[in-house]
Amino acid sequence: MSNRTGFLYDERYRQHLTGNYHPEVPDRLPSVYKGIADAGLLEKLTLIEATPADLKWVETVHDRNYIKRFATACAAGNSIFDSPDNQMCTVSYEVALLAVGGVLEATRLVMEGNLDNAFCAVRPPGHHAEVDKAMGFCYFNNVAIAARYIQKEWGIERVGIVDFDVHHGNGTQHIFERDPTVFYYSIHQHPTFAYPGTGREFERGQDAGYGFTKNSPVLPGNGDAAYQKLLQRDLFPAFADFKPEVILVSAGFDAHVDDNMSDIELTTEGFTWIIERIVEMAAWYSKGRLISVLEGGYSLRRLPELARNHVEVLLKG
Amino acid sequence: MFVSRSMTRKVITVGPQVNIFEAQELMAQNQIRHLPVVDESGRLLGIVTDRDIRSALPYKFFKKPPGKEEKKNFAQLKINEIMTRKPITISPSHTIQDALLIIQDSKVGALPVVDEDRKLKGIISVRDLLRAFTNVLGIGEPGTLLCILVEEKVGQLKKIVDAITEENISFGSVLVARYWEKDKRAVFPYLLTQNVAHVKEKLTNMGFTLLDPMEWYLDQLPKNE
Repeated sequence: MSNRTGFLYDERYRQHLTGNYHPEVPDRLPSVYKGIADAGLLEKLTLIEATPADLKWVETVHDRNYIKRFATACAAGNSIFDSPDNQMCTVSYEVALLAVGGVLEATRLVMEGNLDNAFCAVRPPGHHAEVDKAMGFCYFNNVAIAARYIQKEWGIERVGIVDFDVHHGNGTQHIFERDPTVFYYSIHQHPTFAYPGTGREFERGQDAGYGFTKNSPVLPGNGDAAYQKLLQRDLFPAFADFKPEVILVSAGFDAHVDDNMSDIELTTEGFTWIIERIVEMAAWYSKGRLISVLEGGYSLRRLPELARNHVEVLLKG
Repeated sequence: MFVSRSMTRKVITVGPQVNIFEAQELMAQNQIRHLPVVDESGRLLGIVTDRDIRSALPYKFFKKPPGKEEKKNFAQLKINEIMTRKPITISPSHTIQDALLIIQDSKVGALPVVDEDRKLKGIISVRDLLRAFTNVLGIGEPGTLLCILVEEKVGQLKKIVDAITEENISFGSVLVARYWEKDKRAVFPYLLTQNVAHVKEKLTNMGFTLLDPMEWYLDQLPKNE
C-alpha cells in the first residue's frame, strides 16, 4: 500500500432523511464506514471533514434560481422536491451543501498534492441532478461541481469523469455535453430497461463537445464479462486519447447482483476490477489524481465489502 | 390523434413543369424524399420521390455527377412525366392510426394530406408517425419501464394501476401487448420514478409475474409455421 488516500465521511450526511420505502437511506453510509473500519483501513487513510460548500462553486453548475428554490422548499418543510423520487427533510439543503463541500475539500487536498486520491462517502448523491432540476434522489451534482472547481481554481484543462453507477448520469452528461474539456464516460444498464432513460450509445455530445461524451449501455442480466469488454472497447481508448489531467469517479454500487435496483449482475470482484483499471489510468494520465464520489448502491449487505475493496484499490495504487 | 396535428404543414412542393434536376436539388437541400406536385391553385397532381428521380436517370450518374452537356439531354424531362399520379392520400381529419395502417399496407413512406377539393394541406411521413409514437412511449421522460405478465381477464390492469398508485408513483404511459402464450397479456407500465424496487416486490407478492427484461417484446413477429 503506497498511496496517500483520503476518506471523506461525516455523520451529518445521515441527517438527510428520505421517508419510508426509499432506498437512498441514511444507513447506507454507516455500511460503507463499517466495511472500511472493520478491515482496519481507517488508520491508513486520511480522514476528511466536510464543510459547507461556498455557493460560488455550486453556481458554476447550477442555476441560481434553482439553488434558491431548493433552499426555500427545504426551509418550508416540503417533503418532496421536483419529483416524488426526491424525498427530503428540513436540513436536506444543508446536507447537500455539505456533500458538495466535502467533495471539494477532498479535491483540494488531492490537487495540493497532500493526497494521491480520495473516496468521498457522501449523501445525497449527485449525478442525476440537472442544472435546474433535482432528479433521481440527487440535488446538487457533486462530481460536476468538482470538475468545474478543478478547472477554475487549479487551472486544469482536461477532466475525465467515469460513472459506473448502474443508472445513467443524465445530469453530468447534460452539464458537459457541449464542453470538450470534460470527458464524460458512463457505463450503465441499458436505458430502455432502467431509469432515467438516457445514455444511449449514440449520445456522443453536442457541438464542440461532440465526441467527449461516451455511453456504454449494458443489457439486463449481464455482469463482469460484459463490463470488462465494454470498458476495454469504449473507455480505455477514449481516455488514452483524451488524457485527463484529473479523473473523477461517480462510484455507484447498484450494478451489484444483490442490489435490487437493477438487473445487472456485477460481482464484488467485478467492481474491484473496474476501479483497478481506473486507478491505473489515473497513474498513466493524471499523476494518480483521482477523486471517487459515492452515487448509488443500495444493498446494505454488500456495501461494506464493496466500499472496503474500493478503498483498498485506491490505497494500493 | 389527428393527422392535422402530426403532419408537416410547411410542405416543399413543385409545379408539374419543373425539370428533374431542379426537383432533385430541392429534395437534397431540404433533406426530404417526397415532393408533392401541385397546380397553381395548390391542388395535388401527383408525388415524386427521390427514388423516382434516380430511376429516371441513367445509372452512371450515381457514380459520377453529370456534366453540363449530359445534363442538357435530361433537362427536358419534366416532373409530370415521372411523378406518380393519383398517389394515395389522407385527409387532415383522419387519425394517425389510420395513417399508420395505410402506410404499413401500401408500403409508401409518406402520404400527402388533402382536403375535399384535393388541395394540399400537408404531408405525413413515417418520420412524423415515429415522433408521435416516441411521445406515446414516453421515451423522453425520465422513468422506469416494467413488464408484467397477466392473465387475460377483466380487472387485471386495475389491480396493477391501483397497486402502483398507492405507492404515489405517476405513470408516463401504460402499454398492453399481446403475449405469445395464449390468454396472457404483457402490461408495460412506464413509471416516472427511479424508485421501483418496492413496487416490484409488491406486485410479485400480489401474484403477478414480472417478466425478465431480456424476454420483453412489444412486437409479435409474423408466424412462419
